Amino acid sequence: MAVQVRIPTVFRKFTDGNPSVELEPGTIADLVDQLEARYPGMREQLLTSEGQLHRFVNVYVNDEDARYLEKLDTKVADGDTVSLLPSVAGG
Amino acid sequence: MTELRMPKTFADEMVEHCIHGKPQEACGLLAARDGRVVQVFRMTNASASPVRYSLDPKEQFAVYEKIESEGWELGGVFHSHTHTEAYPSPTDVRMASEDVPYVIVSLAQEPPSIRAFRIVKQNWMDSEGSIEEIAVSIEG
Ligand SMILES: [Zn+2]
Repeated sequence: MAVQVRIPTVFRKFTDGNPSVELEPGTIADLVDQLEARYPGMREQLLTSEGQLHRFVNVYVNDEDARYLEKLDTKVADGDTVSLLPSVAGG
Repeated sequence: MTELRMPKTFADEMVEHCIHGKPQEACGLLAARDGRVVQVFRMTNASASPVRYSLDPKEQFAVYEKIESEGWELGGVFHSHTHTEAYPSPTDVRMASEDVPYVIVSLAQEPPSIRAFRIVKQNWMDSEGSIEEIAVSIEG
């Protein structure tokens, strides 16, 4: 078992095109660290320089928006699915 | 991808959603399999504006779940331009956040025109990028 992380299309250039990756359980912040270790450069795609989630990235743990959970401190367990969703907008 | 293939019924459904949304911009998502559209998702324009659109994250998440469970891929993002040509606006480039075709339906002329573009940026947060047109092939 592991945590399955769904990678949006815009970040798949980091993951060799893979739409999902498997990581170890922990907090969302831990998952970001694991992504950065495996795919250098990913952290700054997801976090601001203050270390918060970018405003335009939505994170779902299973079907809950992490913004309404404990944000980066939200715990993710074996078998959970984490979805990273970029805001989709324009004019 | 150099071409987006779309059965005519889906093209019609997309245009109808855009017309129905007037005077505001309308938006939606396309699911595809092997570069061919298999479903149109009519989405709420959470910005409720004639010059802006944004997906509701909760609706977006539900559609991505459906796409995942069906084994489809995200085939594109579409929105309408009610009074301008079917070409990405500076806002479209600045906000582009998916590496999929951005389909624009222009209602500025009759019949509406449909064009698709890939917006290529070094970093998804960049405000500028290059615009590459993708042919839209409407089938049947
Ligand atoms: Zn636009």
